[in-house]
Amino acid sequence: MTDPTTPDPVTPDPVTLAVLQARFTAIVEEMGEALLRTAYSQILNASRDFSIALCDAGARLVAQADHLPVHVGAMPYAVRAVLDGVGARPRPGDIFLVNDPWHGGSHLPDMTVVVPVFGEDGTLRFWSVVRAHMSDIGGATHGAYNAAATDIWQEGIRVPPIRLGEDGVVREDLLAMLAANTRLPRDFRGDMLAAVGAARLGGKRLGEAFARHGAARVSAAGEAILALSEERARAILATWREGTWRAEARLDDDGRGNDDVTIRAAVTVGGGRVAVDLSESDPQVASFVNSSYANMRSAVAIAFAYLLDPDIPKNDGVFRLLDVTARQGTVAWAAEGAPVTLCTNHSGQEILEAVLLAMANACPERAMAGWGKRFRIAITGRDPRRGRPFVWHLFHARPGGGASPAGDGWPCAGEWGVVGGIKFGSVEMAEARFPLFFERHEIHPGSGGDGTHRGGPGGLATIRVESEGPSVGNTAGDGARHGVTGMAGGAPGAPHRYVLRAPDGTERVLRTKETGIPIPAGAVLDLRAGGGGGWGPPEGRDPAARRRDAEEGFTA
Amino acid sequence: MSGYLIGVDVGGTFTDVVGIAPDGGTTLAKAPSTPADQSEGVLAGIARLAEMLGLGTADLLARTGRIVHGTTVATNALLEHRGARVAMLTTEGHRDVIEMREGMKPDRYDLRAAPPAPLVPRARRLPVRERLRDDGRVETALDPDSLAAAVAAARAAGAEAVAVCFLHAWRDPTHERAAAEAVRAAMPDAFVTTSAEVLPQIKEFERFSTTAVNAYVGPLVSRYLDRLGGRLAAAGFAGPLFVILSHGGVAPVAEAARLAAGTALSGPAGGVAAAVAIARSGAARDLVTFDMGGTSTDIALVEGGEAALGRGRAVGGERIALESLDIVTLGAGGGSIGHVGPGGTLQVGPRSAGAVPGPAAYGTGGTEPTVTDANLVLGYLDPARFLGGRRRLDPAAARAALARLGGALGLSAEATAAGMLRVANARMADGIRIATVRRGVDPRGFALLSFGGAAGLHATAVAREIGIGRVLVPLFAAGLSAWGMLHTDLRYELSRSVLDEGTLRDEAALRAPFDALEAEARDRLRGWWSGEVAIRRRADMRYGEQVFEIDVPLDGVDWDSPGLPARVAAAFHARHRALFTYDLPGEAVVLVNARLAAVGRLPARPSRAGRAGGGAAGGGAAPATRPVHLEGTTRAVPLHDFAALPEGAAIAGPAIVESDTTTVLLLPGDMAVMGPDGLLDVAVAGGPG
Repeated sequence: MTDPTTPDPVTPDPVTLAVLQARFTAIVEEMGEALLRTAYSQILNASRDFSIALCDAGARLVAQADHLPVHVGAMPYAVRAVLDGVGARPRPGDIFLVNDPWHGGSHLPDMTVVVPVFGEDGTLRFWSVVRAHMSDIGGATHGAYNAAATDIWQEGIRVPPIRLGEDGVVREDLLAMLAANTRLPRDFRGDMLAAVGAARLGGKRLGEAFARHGAARVSAAGEAILALSEERARAILATWREGTWRAEARLDDDGRGNDDVTIRAAVTVGGGRVAVDLSESDPQVASFVNSSYANMRSAVAIAFAYLLDPDIPKNDGVFRLLDVTARQGTVAWAAEGAPVTLCTNHSGQEILEAVLLAMANACPERAMAGWGKRFRIAITGRDPRRGRPFVWHLFHARPGGGASPAGDGWPCAGEWGVVGGIKFGSVEMAEARFPLFFERHEIHPGSGGDGTHRGGPGGLATIRVESEGPSVGNTAGDGARHGVTGMAGGAPGAPHRYVLRAPDGTERVLRTKETGIPIPAGAVLDLRAGGGGGWGPPEGRDPAARRRDAEEGFTA
Repeated sequence: MSGYLIGVDVGGTFTDVVGIAPDGGTTLAKAPSTPADQSEGVLAGIARLAEMLGLGTADLLARTGRIVHGTTVATNALLEHRGARVAMLTTEGHRDVIEMREGMKPDRYDLRAAPPAPLVPRARRLPVRERLRDDGRVETALDPDSLAAAVAAARAAGAEAVAVCFLHAWRDPTHERAAAEAVRAAMPDAFVTTSAEVLPQIKEFERFSTTAVNAYVGPLVSRYLDRLGGRLAAAGFAGPLFVILSHGGVAPVAEAARLAAGTALSGPAGGVAAAVAIARSGAARDLVTFDMGGTSTDIALVEGGEAALGRGRAVGGERIALESLDIVTLGAGGGSIGHVGPGGTLQVGPRSAGAVPGPAAYGTGGTEPTVTDANLVLGYLDPARFLGGRRRLDPAAARAALARLGGALGLSAEATAAGMLRVANARMADGIRIATVRRGVDPRGFALLSFGGAAGLHATAVAREIGIGRVLVPLFAAGLSAWGMLHTDLRYELSRSVLDEGTLRDEAALRAPFDALEAEARDRLRGWWSGEVAIRRRADMRYGEQVFEIDVPLDGVDWDSPGLPARVAAAFHARHRALFTYDLPGEAVVLVNARLAAVGRLPARPSRAGRAGGGAAGGGAAPATRPVHLEGTTRAVPLHDFAALPEGAAIAGPAIVESDTTTVLLLPGDMAVMGPDGLLDVAVAGGPG
């Protein structure tokens, strides 16, 4: 159907533009629904640890579904890597795959499927992109998070951009080879096929839009959306102060005896642009807290997006206002071969926090305090009721959210890169499925940072491990020494404190990057998660709110 | 049942009352809604209906066999945060379940949004020392001192309602029941509800949240239904009063008050019930409902004559895990306001002019252009005939509002109006795509059932957007929800967690929970139903190591012969394959929740919905054509009186088919045929492309 309100065949009028803008959003949402419905593994279903994007022919991000913020802005790097390599001359029906952190990937568990989308005349118009976190990716330990890894090869299989399929058909031999390199080949295969299906669905839906509006006009709409998004971000930026500010954020340690691994950000706002320089960050370390380039770019992009408006489009029009400088060989951008698996949590969080702290000087009225840090623990042992081994990953005792100018922080809503996007499971279900008994699972009083607005409290879990014989724990995380930042005079959130209490009463404080922790049967894990940062000076807090906090038991 | 049947749907602006006479004649009366006490508007609507039928109110009510009511009391209490003052008695060490919300936060990128206040603040969540194991064994006995202290605290806090929420209570409700007894003894006027009674299922967040909602809305719903029953009795009604529940079935008032959380979707449920009735009448097996009102549009699916159900519903941000119709609500309707969005694009909504100040054309203070104004300026609406002539529309005011908006975009008033409709229609089409893909179906095989005041003007365009080839518009579109309430069944929904990994290996263990649910359902139905009862079974199942269960309908499974576990497992494998494209025949299967619906089929009455009297007369014969802006040009488009169309009449688009309460726009190439029962059946031209 031709559109009478649009005289020329390419430029979309304001109405067509609004229609196509909504269409892009609906397409990425539909791709996400399709992936959720068809994925095999718990990690994709429960944690929704995946991301969906549409990029234009030049690998610029046009639309991204709002899943985990941690992936925002990272996906174009995967597309660019494809374009620079095997996908330089893509053909219809091609299916590309990449996970390598030195080819646009974030960390090895995140497999990214990239599919080119062509117009009716055979011109490359868009890329449909699906990134999905695999339950296992090979390497030295189960489940990808290997605190002991000293290089990338101990973390799993590297996939630089490859052509996984042609003419719309996945190459079974390649898929079998990749699956054979993981511990959960069935999950891997199923999740990969689900990701390919979702990416192809995006291509199909774009094709339908081409048939209706013409590919050239849909492309022009993408261009116009980027221009309008940029204009909108610039209008916000125009209200920001100009200047240069520095800030830093610290990891507890690298797990190899080096404390206070530090990210240093310098942010310059001026001339309608924002320059971010991370090159003074500490040198890279020998453990998995190093960041890949795409992950670093994503952390910077999220920090910027958080300080703009909540509904600002997450696309290239906005992110191209950022000029990012970093130095390879630092913890913010590791040199090839370094281990990086924890980086989507840490150091991603610290990069985000350092950048946001510096940037906040330009727009203090917009800035929120820090959201919690991730402290994982996985336990393997033997379940006496079923007479078989079990593996349990902690998702309870979530950290708290940061306070903001609008009010107190969200309780137990998670980390900077998750912000309420991961569901912790039912205690009843956990007790039914694992040899665990939750004596307590509540809000952790006093964990939120004090302030005019109080940080959201983290969670508190007291869990008895009722395994048959001893179990073994592995941790991966950060934030047991340094809590998350306060803002505008608010206090930082409390750090995590995880204690293992053996049946004989001996106590051991768990560190954030340990492998092979012996857990005797009947031992109790006393896990107190950190809270979010406070916002505004504590003396500014409404006395009524303070009374209510005391009455409700939110303050210790 | 003899005599009249009366259906009552309380909307935001109007209360619709539909009466079906013993001969099937159907009449719609409207009265202004009365939000302070909805029962006033209900009685006024019934009085209006009586007047239209030439009867006195008492006379009509004396001749009425049943009244079915859709109420928004619970919905409004949740949306407006004015429910009861609730205290919660809960297992010591686990008092924050409803505040932690499983770690989830909606609207992920808004880090400057404060968290919502929980329905029960922490200070009124009162720990009780007791603890069960997941298998029901008592780990810690119910401690009388801590129970007494909690009850005293609830009382001292002035709680009107008390929710008792203990861990693993679905396994054994003994502790919860004892606690509830203690509360009732100390607080005889309080509304008391327990988690095992509301939702006897594993997963504490869903169960506790639903129970908290039940306590929050229970006292209001009880009081309201008491008041309504009293008014109806005083007016001469002696028959049964039913309430339509969120799952689309009806229940007597006592049951609706007990499980008040189950009325949260009572409002839109009537429309879906109507869609089910229309689907079962043979018009179309698969329907997408498109119920467009003033501020929002509700979308639901009917597949094979069954409405899609879900349990993930949140109302006012509060999770209600009871069985409920899977209705997707979009924030776009006739009152949605057009404006210049970021970067100079034309946007529609989410802001709505509502009933006050209303669209610019209402002349009641609204100055911003709404979708209704756009429809008026393009000639799709007749200014003299809106709402049966009771509200005159002012085209000049609508045009002025659109011209102002157009000025900012460099577009004429007409182009702006056409643009607003395109944006609104595209948005609704996207909403339908998401709603259908979520259920794993392709909308293009469905017919679009258009109802609600504003839908008829958009349905054919929305269908085109999606590629749907068929649109059905009942003449009764404006009162369809109230009509639908009279075409649904008594329904009692029960569920119970099972969660024994051996259930599917043992015939007796598998039958036991379903048999227990059936006995309970029949027992509960006995009080209000003496007719035949149909039993429908479903189960939530998963493979052993999976995290999420899927809902498996067991209607087709032979329940009577031996070998049941294998048949139930086969139903699960097949369902898994249908949803996810694969199954794992060798894997262990776990049955987590047994579900059962006992359905008492109410006597159907063929009703000629099409021949309804639509309220005030339309003001003489309609002109034969009206100038209408269509596809950038103005042309004279034929007008047809919907109510006067004989069965079999065929109309080619472009055309406008209008009645006092609804207007249908047929686009060029569309072909409409008037079907039986007042259903206009439109074959939509083309599809996308």
